[in-house]
Amino acid sequence: MAVSPVQLSPLRPGGGRSAGATVPRGLRYASGSLGVAGAGLIWLALLGPVIALATHLSWHAVASALSAPGALEPLVVSAESGAITLGVLVLLGTPLAWALARGTLPFPRAWEAGVLASLLLPPLVVGLLLVFMVGPYTPIGQWLAGLHLSAANTFLALVIAQVYEAAPYYVLGAQAAFAGVEPRLEQQAALLGDPPRRVFRRVTVPLAAPGLAMALAIAWARAMGAFGAVVIVAYHPTGLPMQIWTSLQETGLASALPFALVLLVVALPLPLAAYIWSARARGRRRS
Amino acid sequence: MLEADVEVDRRDFTVRASLQVAPGERLALFGPSGAGKTTLLEVIAGLVVPRRARIAVSGRLLTSTSKPVTALPAWQRRVGLLRQDPALFPHLSVRDNLRYARPGPGSRYEDELTELAVALGIEGLLAAMPAKLSGGQAHRVALGRLLLSHCDVLLLDEPYTGLDASLRRTLTDLVVALVAQRRVPAILVAHELATAQAFADRLAVLDRGRVLQIGPPGEVVLAPASRRVAELVGYSAFVPMPDPRGALAGVHPDRVVGGNQPERGLVLTGVVTACRPAGARWEIAMLVGEVTVTGRLPEAATPGRELVITVTDPPLFWPDGVTLSGTGQTGVEQAEART
Repeated sequence: MAVSPVQLSPLRPGGGRSAGATVPRGLRYASGSLGVAGAGLIWLALLGPVIALATHLSWHAVASALSAPGALEPLVVSAESGAITLGVLVLLGTPLAWALARGTLPFPRAWEAGVLASLLLPPLVVGLLLVFMVGPYTPIGQWLAGLHLSAANTFLALVIAQVYEAAPYYVLGAQAAFAGVEPRLEQQAALLGDPPRRVFRRVTVPLAAPGLAMALAIAWARAMGAFGAVVIVAYHPTGLPMQIWTSLQETGLASALPFALVLLVVALPLPLAAYIWSARARGRRRS
Repeated sequence: MLEADVEVDRRDFTVRASLQVAPGERLALFGPSGAGKTTLLEVIAGLVVPRRARIAVSGRLLTSTSKPVTALPAWQRRVGLLRQDPALFPHLSVRDNLRYARPGPGSRYEDELTELAVALGIEGLLAAMPAKLSGGQAHRVALGRLLLSHCDVLLLDEPYTGLDASLRRTLTDLVVALVAQRRVPAILVAHELATAQAFADRLAVLDRGRVLQIGPPGEVVLAPASRRVAELVGYSAFVPMPDPRGALAGVHPDRVVGGNQPERGLVLTGVVTACRPAGARWEIAMLVGEVTVTGRLPEAATPGRELVITVTDPPLFWPDGVTLSGTGQTGVEQAEART
C-alpha cells in the first residue's frame, strides 16, 4: 500500500504516532550500524585490489623492473594512444552527445542503440569483429593500405580498439551532461544577442563542464585499461595492459605487478582530478 | 515604435493580432490562460515561426512573410523577454549575469551597471551567485540584465507570478519608471486584470487568439465591448432588463452598492443565498428572478433575508453578446435613446 507523504509528516494532527516511531530504539541503532558496517565492507572490498597491490610491491622490484632497457616504452605507447583516443572522442563524440541530448537527430532511439551496442558487446567480441571490419583484406583495410596505413597490429589499430572501448562511456556521459543544461538558459543567451556557437561556448559547455569532465575521465581510464579488443587487433605495439599480460605469461606474477602500478599511476590521476574539480564546480554554483 | 501584425497557428485556433506600441508606451495583453498571449510574444522575440507576420521596431524589419521576406534570428532582434523563470546563468555571478550581453571591460558599461544596480536595489549582491538570491532579487537581476542589453523592445511574460503582492507592486513601479526613462515599447502579458491594469497605459483583451477590445485600462472594465469581454474582466451575472425587452445588464461584483439608488443605475431586489468574507468586504450572493447575482459590499447580509442593491451604470448587452451601451451616458439612457 502506498503511504502518502501526509502520513509521514511529524505535524500530523491528533498526535498519532507515525509508523517509524513504533520501531524500538535499540533495533533502529542496530540496523543503522549494520548499514554502516555493510557499506564499509563493500568499500573495503572495492579497494581490496589496490590494497593488495600496495602490500605486495617492493620498491626494489619496481625500480629494477622499470630500469630495464625499454621498460618505459609501454607507458609511452599507452599515454600517446590514450591522448589521441581522447582527442578523437572529444571531436566526434561531443557533437553526437549534444545532438542526442537535444533530440535533434531523426530516430534518436536508433542512435542511442548504436552507442549502446559498443558498450554491451564484450570487448573480446568487439576485437574479433574489428578484424573483420578493418583487417587487411576488408574494403576499409584496402583503402587504408592505399594510404600506406594498416589497422592490424599497428598504433592505428591500438587507437581504434581503444576508441571502441571508451566511446560509449564518453558519449553517454556527455549526453547526460548536456541534457542537464536547461534549454531556457540557452534561449535566454540567444535573446541577449549570442549566436548559437557563442551560446554553446558561454552557456552550454560551462554548465555541462562538470559532467563532461567526468565523462572524459572515465573514457580515459577505459582507454588506458583497454585490453579485450586490443589483444586481438593490436598485440603490437605494446601498451601497458599488453605489457602486463605478456610479463605475466612469460615471467609470472611478480614481474607483472610493477607495470600494474604504473598503469594505475597513469590512469587514475586524471579521473581523480576531474572528480575533485567537478565536485568543486558544482559546490561553487550552489554557494 | 513596435508594429506587429501577426498570424500564427496554435493547436486548436489561429492567433491573429495587430499591435502598435509607441516608444515608452506600456501595453498589457490580458486574457485567460491559453488565449495565445505568450505565443504572440514568442513570435515577436523570434522563438516561434508565424504563418504570416510583419514585425518592425522603429522601422527595422524583424519578420516579414511578404516581400522582402525577413526572419531575423532571435540573437539579432534586440528584443528582451522576461518570463516567470528569471533564467539567470547559474555559473556566473550577479555582475557577470548583468553584463552578459556586454562582456569585456569598457568603463562606460561599468558605470551604467552600477547605476542600474542601485536603481534596482541589487548593488550589494553583485558578487553573489544566483543560487543565493531570493525570488524577488533574481527577478531584479533578470530585469537589469535585459535593460543592460539595450534591447529595443521589452516583453514581459507574466514575470511576477508567484511573487507576493508588495514585491509585485515594487517591481511593477520599477519597470514603469525604467520604460519611461529608456523610451522603449513594452508589452506585458497577464492573466490577472489587476496586474495588467497596474502596468499598462493601454489594455488589450485577448481571447482565443483575437483582440476583442483595446483601450485605456479603466475603460475596458467600465465599458466592455462585448459580453465576452465583460465576462473576462469579471462581470459575473447578466440580468434581463424590463426595458428595453431582451437586453441584459452586466453585473460586476465590484460595481454594486447597497440600497435603492435609482439615479446611480439599476436597482435589483432579491433574496440573499450566501454571504462570506472577501478581503475587507463581504461577498454576497443573491437570487434575482432566476439569476444569481454576486456583489462585494461593506456590510454582511443574512442568508434568507431580502436585499436591495444598485448596480452602478451597468453595460447592456443584447442576448447575442453585442454591447448596447458605450461610455458617457448610462446604459439605461442609451437603451431608451435606441428604442
